[in-house]
Amino acid sequence: MLLSELKPGEYGIVKKIKGTGALHRRLLSMGLLPGAIVRVVRISPLGDPVEYEIRGFFISLRKQEASFVEVDKVTPLSFIPRNSDVRVVFIDGGVGFVQNMGAMGIAVGKRLKIIAPCCPMQVKTEKGVFTLGRGMAYRVFVR
Amino acid sequence: MLVALAGNPNTGKSTIFNALTGMKQHVGNWPGVTVEKKEGETEIEGTRVKVVDLPGTYSLTAYTMEEIITRNFIIEEKPDVIVDIIDASNLERNLYLLTELLELHSKIVVVLNMFDEAQKKYSIDVEKMSRILGLPVITAVGIRGKGIDKLKDKIIHGKFNPKKVEYPEDVERRIEEIVELIKPLNIEPARWYAIKILENDAEVHKKVAELGGKDILHRAEHLRHEIEDIYGDDIESLMTSFRYSFAHGLFHEVAEPINVGGVTITDMIDHVVTHKIFGLPIFLAIMYLAFQFVFLVAAPFQDAIDLIFNGKSTATGHIPGLVDLSYNWMLQFMPAWLSSFINHGMLRGLGAVLTFTPVIMLLFLILSFLEDSGYLARVAFLMDSIMKKMGLEGRGIIPLMLGFGCNVPAVMATRTLKDEKERRLSIALNPLIPCGARIQVFAFISSIFFPSNPALVLWSLLILSMVVVFVLGYIYSKTIFRSKSEPFVLELPPYRMPTLKGISIHMWEKSEGFLRKAGTIIVGAAAIIWIFAALPWGVGYGSPDSYIGMFARWIAPIGTAFGLTPEAIISLIFGFFAKEVVIDVLYVLYGSKEAIYYAMSPIQAYSFMLFMLFYTPCVATLATIYNETKSKKFTFFVILEGFALAALFSFAFYTLTSILGVSV
Ligand SMILES: Nc1nc2c(ncn2[C@@H]2O[C@H](COP(=O)(O)OP(=O)(O)O)[C@@H](O)[C@H]2O)c(=O)[nH]1
Ligand SMILES: [Mg+2]
Repeated sequence: MLLSELKPGEYGIVKKIKGTGALHRRLLSMGLLPGAIVRVVRISPLGDPVEYEIRGFFISLRKQEASFVEVDKVTPLSFIPRNSDVRVVFIDGGVGFVQNMGAMGIAVGKRLKIIAPCCPMQVKTEKGVFTLGRGMAYRVFVR
Repeated sequence: MLVALAGNPNTGKSTIFNALTGMKQHVGNWPGVTVEKKEGETEIEGTRVKVVDLPGTYSLTAYTMEEIITRNFIIEEKPDVIVDIIDASNLERNLYLLTELLELHSKIVVVLNMFDEAQKKYSIDVEKMSRILGLPVITAVGIRGKGIDKLKDKIIHGKFNPKKVEYPEDVERRIEEIVELIKPLNIEPARWYAIKILENDAEVHKKVAELGGKDILHRAEHLRHEIEDIYGDDIESLMTSFRYSFAHGLFHEVAEPINVGGVTITDMIDHVVTHKIFGLPIFLAIMYLAFQFVFLVAAPFQDAIDLIFNGKSTATGHIPGLVDLSYNWMLQFMPAWLSSFINHGMLRGLGAVLTFTPVIMLLFLILSFLEDSGYLARVAFLMDSIMKKMGLEGRGIIPLMLGFGCNVPAVMATRTLKDEKERRLSIALNPLIPCGARIQVFAFISSIFFPSNPALVLWSLLILSMVVVFVLGYIYSKTIFRSKSEPFVLELPPYRMPTLKGISIHMWEKSEGFLRKAGTIIVGAAAIIWIFAALPWGVGYGSPDSYIGMFARWIAPIGTAFGLTPEAIISLIFGFFAKEVVIDVLYVLYGSKEAIYYAMSPIQAYSFMLFMLFYTPCVATLATIYNETKSKKFTFFVILEGFALAALFSFAFYTLTSILGVSV
């Protein structure tokens, strides 16, 4: 789907920035790159532009510009309700963090079942049942 | 020694520049304010250091002026040291620019500015960062002058052993091949050029072609396609991704996030000021208050300056002002015409210039407060979809609203628009907004001719001007001021409390610029007006026997097409100097309110107001327009535009009402 189709509060993981030229390049240098997580913050009262959070900062894009960005919708683990079955698509952190999560069986592609919702939350992975704090659950994105 | 400050917009470059050099320069809170190159000097341990504040950029592509300026400066001027000012609270994106700088230069001092804010978001291992990068890394809080001494020390004594940003093996191999190919061209830094050739950078492409490297470019194109095939994406996305993953990796190596996903103060403020229902009313309320503040506070100062220069007429007589006193004094040793020229022409002109200063100072006080606090970026966010229709970004609303106060500071405020075409468009529209002086004249005339409902008449003019501005903006943006549509990617910075120093520097710069540059033109114009109004020597000032009077009589037949009496024409000519004097001139020429009422029909009066609504901006506005654009052609265009609209509306109204036989 397109970034412009996401609603406030929703998250997307960037798949591709279409087009060429100045807009293309500007979006890239802002860090809007394949693999980056984008959150829709709010829509301007008049319906356009839209504010997005990316890599910890905030930008406003016109809908027309946001439609150059292809995304997949994802959700932070911390938002997932009890008893859901989800698959991990992205872990937002450095090597160390990814390794720590991996030790608990939380890695890209793995399935999880939510035992207790956030926060702290309990998840069941193939390696057992683990407790995650808000800081962790917020950085694991699932579908 | 030459030192250049580089960094993303809004990271505190200017703040640190000021702290380093003590030189006055604008400190704003707006991405992209520093478009020109600013220089200053400082001394570190006996070494004279020239410091240059480069424009803020997010990267170093060839797509924007700022980016081209920055990289050309580094390549051509070869600064001894580059200081990369990083907003430490926004580390990852800021590190991206560092990856690009690393390819251009080896001596980089990294400044983690805004460290106060950063500490609320994550803990940063500065030592480790310095070790990984092989560069001096220091922390700073620019607004409190913290870290400046350390920075000075590192500029002189820093050890540089920079890490290379590495690309995947199959990309590196191709970069090295190009490095070899361009050796004969003798361009430095070779690796940077090779990467840019591979990325198909427009500027570098041109340069290499000029140097006769067509074959190299061909080969590079081939290599580029190979990489695009291997990774299945376009080269720009790929190369940016590679560099970002370096920044991303480094970021996670050195920064440990704390307090993830908490609610910030900025978020709470935005929740209110960009609220679906309350956002726009809040904006209008803020503008209204700002407006009231500026014009109410400025008014007594303006009156005082006016009193000092022009004195005051009271029921019992005339209290002389500086102009009269100086005129009489100079009569002792020079002929009357010369004293009149100096005093009634130039000195009075100087008074007019000075009366503008309080408004300009207060306006820029408010504007830089809005800008530095971060609210102006929200204005852009709120108003974008309306302003877009007239070819402007959201912030374009500000100068237009200010126009209702005074077009002079409003034209100066168009500097907040980054795109040059948009700026011109915005300047071209601004004089069509009736300023306070014109509104005052309209109120006076309406009260004479339409005593039953003067407000309605006034509103009709205001609404007409807004419609004209909107429609003309739409047409212009599709035709002569068509912008090549730079992408409007706006950063919404966190709210910050502006510093007094930052605001006062900004305020002073604007007012000083106006006084010095536009002021000279206004005084000159005042002198010219005097020549036409007071000569031939001996006639009454501005009377029908003066040159202005003769001109008015000569042009009177044309004036009848618009229902303008010769006296009305004279008043308009004086209005060119300052719109509010139109009332005084009419008064003097006709003698009384009643006489004015009997001299024109209400239809004529309305036609007169239509003409006055649009015809040429006043001298001060024109001087400012010229000063801001440095283009005589453009300034002339604005005059022409005004007259064309004035003639159009006034003629159409006057003829239509005559044909239809309307009378009021
Ligand atoms: N909290 C904080 N604010 C800062 C610091 N340095 C600068 N600022 C503020 O950040 C804003 C942008 O600074 P400025 O020097 O104009 O940035 P530039 O666009 O890079 O030149 C201004 O409002 C400054 O007062 C800092 O170290 N900490
Ligand atoms: Mg600056």
